[in-house]
Amino acid sequence: MTARLRQPALALALLLLAALLSGCTKDSEPHTLRVLASPELVDMEPLLDELKDDTGVELKLDYKATPDLSGPLDGYDLAWPATDRSYLLRLGASGEPAARPESTAVMRSPVVVGLTRDTADRLRRGVPGGRLTWADIADAAAEGSLRFGMADPRRSDTGRAALVGVATAAAGTGRALRTQDVSCDQLRGFRSGQTLTGASSRELIDTYVRRPDAADALIAHESELLTLNAAGKLARPLEIVHPEDGMVLSDFPLLLLNAGEHRAYREVVDWLRRDDVQRDLVRRTWRRPVGQDVPRPAALRGDIGNALSYPDRPEVVRRLMDYYGTPGRDTGDHVVFLLDFSTSMRGPRMAALRAAFADLSGADPSAAGKFARFYRGERLTVVRFAGRVLGERTVTVRGDKDLRALKSFVAGGKFGDDTAVWSALAHGYRNASDALREHPGRPLSIVLMTDGESNAGLSYAEFTRRHARLAPAARSVPTFPVHFGEADAKALRRAADATGGRMVDANSSSLSQAFKEIRGCR
Amino acid sequence: MSDDPRPPTEEPRLTTRLPTRRRPRYPLHVVAAMPLALAGLIALLVSGNTLRPFDRITTVDGKMASKSDYFKDPEVRRLLLKHGIRVDIHRLGSRGIATQSLRGMDVVFPSGQPAARLIRQRQQRSVKAARPFVTPLVLGTFRDYARTLVAAGVARPQRPPGGGETLYYDLDMRGFMRLIEDEETWNGIDFTAHSRRSNDGRVLVRTSSVCESNAAGTYLSILAFVKNDNQAPGTERRNRPARRTAGDPVLDVAAQVKPLINLQGMAADEQADSYFSDEGEAIAPVSLIYEHQFLKHQVDHQKKHGEQDRRRVLLYPSPHALTEPELISLNDDGDRLTTLMETDADLRRRAIELGFRVRFSGEDGTSEQLNAYLREHEVQVPTPNPDQTKVDAPDLAALERIINHVGNCPPPGQDGPR
Repeated sequence: MTARLRQPALALALLLLAALLSGCTKDSEPHTLRVLASPELVDMEPLLDELKDDTGVELKLDYKATPDLSGPLDGYDLAWPATDRSYLLRLGASGEPAARPESTAVMRSPVVVGLTRDTADRLRRGVPGGRLTWADIADAAAEGSLRFGMADPRRSDTGRAALVGVATAAAGTGRALRTQDVSCDQLRGFRSGQTLTGASSRELIDTYVRRPDAADALIAHESELLTLNAAGKLARPLEIVHPEDGMVLSDFPLLLLNAGEHRAYREVVDWLRRDDVQRDLVRRTWRRPVGQDVPRPAALRGDIGNALSYPDRPEVVRRLMDYYGTPGRDTGDHVVFLLDFSTSMRGPRMAALRAAFADLSGADPSAAGKFARFYRGERLTVVRFAGRVLGERTVTVRGDKDLRALKSFVAGGKFGDDTAVWSALAHGYRNASDALREHPGRPLSIVLMTDGESNAGLSYAEFTRRHARLAPAARSVPTFPVHFGEADAKALRRAADATGGRMVDANSSSLSQAFKEIRGCR
Repeated sequence: MSDDPRPPTEEPRLTTRLPTRRRPRYPLHVVAAMPLALAGLIALLVSGNTLRPFDRITTVDGKMASKSDYFKDPEVRRLLLKHGIRVDIHRLGSRGIATQSLRGMDVVFPSGQPAARLIRQRQQRSVKAARPFVTPLVLGTFRDYARTLVAAGVARPQRPPGGGETLYYDLDMRGFMRLIEDEETWNGIDFTAHSRRSNDGRVLVRTSSVCESNAAGTYLSILAFVKNDNQAPGTERRNRPARRTAGDPVLDVAAQVKPLINLQGMAADEQADSYFSDEGEAIAPVSLIYEHQFLKHQVDHQKKHGEQDRRRVLLYPSPHALTEPELISLNDDGDRLTTLMETDADLRRRAIELGFRVRFSGEDGTSEQLNAYLREHEVQVPTPNPDQTKVDAPDLAALERIINHVGNCPPPGQDGPR
């Protein structure tokens, strides 16, 4: 055998033969798979050439922003979203026993906040320990001192992941969101700070690069913000903050839609998860590796905090999005507060009421308080009543000045005799009718706080007769009674039920707690 | 064959490759060696039977869950290739395998007996099957969390023989479940006293989907067993007064354990994958995994870093549950693989090296060889079931009802298993 090999002529002949034999496979076209991919995966392109060289499989990425792979999937062999959670929720809700596609996580990146240096410094100064939370971001947004950009949760998986993360942090239950946790819109204050959006996070970031003055912060994947910083398109890089109260982690799964391509799929995922590829991937895309002990740059070595649980019910996510509405909407809600200023409120009860208003104006340091506070653009009407209406004041919050004005209106009020609960509520609905005529689309709700039984003015029956005569829009305004002191819980609950609201009990917690509980309910 | 540039563990690609690369760029020395290699190959081809292993290779398509770890192992792949078998893995949860179509498959390898029984029930013919090994269901966690649980009085460290930090803790499931039911958060049970990190999340176990995975279904069995006063739901004697009032004891227990699972929201696949990743502690403080995955990780870690991974530790639930994967053949090709799994000593030896407890002779023979292997590789030997309380799994029908109640699972696939 070796003797034969020493003969150059024979070796050459064998070589030619070998070339001939292997020729049938060598020059064939690469095997091409069509992939529906999240737009931010455009940074994978260079790696895909190597994939083709190494495995003979070519991925043709079709970039589309979709939150849950909705829309036609025909013609796609694979899907590669940032996360498949919303897709799985949709699949589960369809009731079809369809087989779940095989899915393999390829890399990870948490949803984080990128802040301009000045904004980061400013926010940190206001927080003990300087470790920022989503609640701090919401607080600053409500106050009007933070404007941020986030992709549209209706159209982009990144935007949706961000929304769920913020909402989970706002609920503060330490568990996945349930339907009852999103019974009210707790993100109104947060949303009031949103000035930029996009169909995808790529679009969002492009807009921000063109108009960096339009926002102080971006909410997106860590990888996208690090990429943006590294590209040098900003005058100063954004400072990346991993909020202390948790994050949603995307794992960029590759999904096999066309089961006939199973073998090629295996080749691709095995390749993508190879140690050397993962190392390359980290370097090029700033996403975190799924493998162990893959070297990474310093920016990816820090602790990312705790992952938040993702809800497992589609209606929870749907309701979140309904509440969130169209980003960039500039009208805030309108709340009419009907406050009992009868003499029984004198003393500690009045102190509690003032404290509650102070808390809602930004004094409450708790996470729930930061999400529930009054926010810029919100319209607030305060009506003081006893046996009759004692005074009324309406402000649209533009800044601290407006909140101070409201506070002094509540603080400086005189008390009156008697308690005309139903007359006050009828007055509230007159306010509501006027407001709705002026701003038909603006969400409106009534908060009725009283500490005694109605002993003057309209009877409940008379109130319901008047309520029934209102125009439909005004009639459907919900009332949220706050039961305090010796108020008639039964009567208040009846009023809540009749108007589609809900009663809360301030005796079992505090006025401040009760107000927080119904903030955002409508 | 020594000229083959590929490592010996990798299978030859000639038979299975999809269309190959267009113009590969080889390094110079490879180009230089190529004529020699090709010439050698052709010479062997001309001279006789060298290529026979290549043309005889059978691809066995198999749906499997976590036990794909075994068939993914390069050494296992090499051993199987020696017998002309290549396994193509279709990854799916065990119960998912049992409830969906098996068309096009040669074998299935569910990770536990409930799914295996479902599959066997649906086969028209009697099937060849192998149960090569067992492994306990465990909870993977991190040192700070384990210490927190010890301080909370629900976990106890297993003493390592030479002293020092243990890798293993025994977990009192009843106490642990109480923490979950009492809506405790990690910070609420003093996590910050044992860690530099902070966690306001609820105490909970991350599992894969109960509708699809064996691990989650088995975990449900443990929860249901404990909730039902340490007996399998559905086996109560009629005249026990405590249970008589409830109309349906199985659904009653199911309703009690449901909140313990649903707390986590959406379940996530591949628990071990995320647990062992560098982001593992951020993803989940406690993950439901199998013992073999942990032991394999520790052996690898010891080999790579010269020490055990002391950050990742195991909680052994008490009562405990052993899982028994079953390789079920669906046709002749599958039969070849199952037979091999039962008879080939090398394949079984490799299973031990991958952390499995292999049955050699009788029930008691499962652990000795594994323990010896761990000692040899300087990994602490665990005591998986110190107090010998074993979960009696509910019968299949009862377990299915519990799973469906807790997971609100979709009906089985419409084209059904073949």
